[in-house]
Amino acid sequence: MKNRKTRGFLLLLTGALFLGACGTGDGDSASGSSSPDPNVLVVATGADPVTLDIHQTNDQATSRVARQIYETLIKQTNDLELVPGLATDWEEVEENIYEFILREDVVFHNGEPLTASDVAYTLHRATESPSISHIIGSVDPETIEVIDDHTIRIGTHDSFGPFLTHLAHPAVGILSEVAVEEAGEDYGINSVVGTGPFEFTEWVTGSQLTLERFSDHWDDVDGVERIEFRTITDSSVRLIELESGTVDIAYDISPSDNSTVEENDDLTLLNTENLGTEYLGFNLQNDTPLQEVGVREAIAHAIDVESIIETVHMGIGTPMSGPINELVFGFNGDLEATPYDMDLAKELLADAGYPDGGFSLSLYVGDNNQERIRVSQIVSEALAELGITVEVHQMEWGAFLDATALGEADMFLLGWTTITTDADYGLHPLFHSSNFGESGNRSFYHNEEVDELLEAARYTSEQGEREVYYHTVQEIINSDVPWVYLQTRENVSGVRNWVQGFEHHPTGSYFLNVVSKN
Amino acid sequence: MFQYIVKRILWLFPVLLGVTFIVFTIMYLSPGDPVTMVLGEGATQEQYEAMRRQMGLDRHFIEQFFRYIRNVFIDFDLGRSYVSGRVVLDEILTRLPNTLKLSTWSILIASLIGIPMGVVSATRPYSKIDNVVMFISLLGVSMPTFWQALLLIILFTSTLGWLPATGFSNWQQMIMPVFALASSSIGSIARITRSSMMDVLDQDYIRTAKAKGVGDSTVTFHHALRNALIPVVTIIGLQFGALLGGAVLTETVFSINGIGTLMVNAIRTRDTMIVQGGVLFIAFIFTLVNLCVDILYAYIDPRIKTSYD
Repeated sequence: MKNRKTRGFLLLLTGALFLGACGTGDGDSASGSSSPDPNVLVVATGADPVTLDIHQTNDQATSRVARQIYETLIKQTNDLELVPGLATDWEEVEENIYEFILREDVVFHNGEPLTASDVAYTLHRATESPSISHIIGSVDPETIEVIDDHTIRIGTHDSFGPFLTHLAHPAVGILSEVAVEEAGEDYGINSVVGTGPFEFTEWVTGSQLTLERFSDHWDDVDGVERIEFRTITDSSVRLIELESGTVDIAYDISPSDNSTVEENDDLTLLNTENLGTEYLGFNLQNDTPLQEVGVREAIAHAIDVESIIETVHMGIGTPMSGPINELVFGFNGDLEATPYDMDLAKELLADAGYPDGGFSLSLYVGDNNQERIRVSQIVSEALAELGITVEVHQMEWGAFLDATALGEADMFLLGWTTITTDADYGLHPLFHSSNFGESGNRSFYHNEEVDELLEAARYTSEQGEREVYYHTVQEIINSDVPWVYLQTRENVSGVRNWVQGFEHHPTGSYFLNVVSKN
Repeated sequence: MFQYIVKRILWLFPVLLGVTFIVFTIMYLSPGDPVTMVLGEGATQEQYEAMRRQMGLDRHFIEQFFRYIRNVFIDFDLGRSYVSGRVVLDEILTRLPNTLKLSTWSILIASLIGIPMGVVSATRPYSKIDNVVMFISLLGVSMPTFWQALLLIILFTSTLGWLPATGFSNWQQMIMPVFALASSSIGSIARITRSSMMDVLDQDYIRTAKAKGVGDSTVTFHHALRNALIPVVTIIGLQFGALLGGAVLTETVFSINGIGTLMVNAIRTRDTMIVQGGVLFIAFIFTLVNLCVDILYAYIDPRIKTSYD
């Protein structure tokens, strides 16, 4: 009798839990067949913005949201063409000094009109920010001069070639002086004011950020009325939410999920090349055989990049032929990718004085990137064929950055995104000898000629001349082999078919003002 | 009893001071540079040094530590995040309701299921039902939470379309995370209840009660269960404290904006202010939970209450 009672209680409890779990069929947020609200675009992202004060950070999650709220003087289109943004016109009026004419019909989200003094305030504030001053570092604050409400002059310290491209970077969006001063330290958290097509509404940190279309925006474009950015860190869950129709666009689909998106008739996989590169870096400072260029060449030929792309990245990406990719200004198209040739690798290693390898090297890889961890295993196996023992150190990301900056690693796997789209940012931090360590040159690569050419290209405004310098730099770097180039990176998004007008921007920060739903 | 509670509350201060020192030292000594994490690459040496000064990291360890202690214990200010500039206390308080909801419901469900499971097992040791219950407990404890969570999402969101996969603002969104998190606690609670109950059921006074003709259910629930509860309450308290510290994997899979994800992100970005503030806050709550557990002991076992007095 008692047994029966206990059993009954357990059955009841289990039944109640099961019914509780099942009784939610009417929850429309979970239903895959629910019709989308045509006015609301739900975007799933992998990370929350750090802050919406664009002078305090330089991360992509922030840029992706900031792109919708702020506008720059010059806009860079999806084809990387520089077109008028908040400035309708600009010209170099004196040596290294440009005059910009501002649009007269622009208002901030707080109702204040945009004036040249806001631009001056923004640029002064940006040059003082340690987080982004390297993006705008060329601007000389002393030369900023407000001519009238809609005319401003901005100068650079020297003749800085990529100046106009840098002004198009999302981190140089124009802020409202009144709004920033009123909010003080809370600017970018509770108070966010720009001139962009969407205004900030609500931010539940780590969860959801909502923007509403700004009705007084100067450019009248049709599209969704509201954007909800939902932070979903797990890529599998982002995909499930996309499949079930609760999100319209999922950013950064994992390579292993590409086929799932492609096979789903309701979804489209959008993958386009971005400004990123993946590489295996050599430490040229440590006392190892890597100091011999022949050894480095041998390793470069021993790594099968095509097979890494196929097996690790599921076919996404193309082999690199140099340190920057073809979307970046200054790319040298005459260079060819190093072919996989194990016999040649063995020959080169023997010529360098290591016929059977017989030495060991450490390879550092961060623990936050599963693809790089798999690549480290492939590199390790490839080098074993040359008789080189590889000790793979999988490290926590912060510790990895620290260790590689201090030169502890013999080899390391890393990537770089040339966010400004100009070779200056893609080469100077990584190969100029003034940037050893945490500034970017973790290979401790030093070549006087490269240093001189990089400086010459930086301080020349004539674009044709700059291009020649960069082509030569890439040729020298290729012959010195401080890196093994792996593959280009791609932006990969999953999109519901009811979304119209969504396109990728190579920087990874997309313009959503033209996106609509049907 | 009152004196005991006051004494325990006063102990909070040295505990929190000790925790602060340990966390501060660990963060100071651990590899990874907050300045690099904030600036990213491409910054020059001068910009790097400027940021280091701005963050106060150019000062000596002792100076940094005492400055922090003064801010926390005298000005009651946990500071601002290095990365986002947000007020640390606001960051914690924004996330606390989700973490509290998740842990409270999980521990409640785990206790409501785990204790009866343990009792049933103990009263029928080595029977079929005992084996089934122990197998389920073992499964719950052994299955990784994130894996269970993904399985639940695949079943209830992808396949059946009944429950939303992410969020934590309504009861439909709460079912899967609470269940995923509760399942490992169910196992622990059931196993502890079983062994504790079996010990008690072997005692002479239980035999005496049975010999006097007291009914099975009275013996089980009144005489045995109450006396077997102390280790169970201990494990519930410990599990609850651990859950408050953040159920990181569950929060990550279900995109719940809780203390766990906040702390893990802060550790990854070397956001020392958030890490220190968060650990201090968790230590404070954990100490309070332990205090409540100790007080509960007194109500469960009158002998303990006497020893306090």
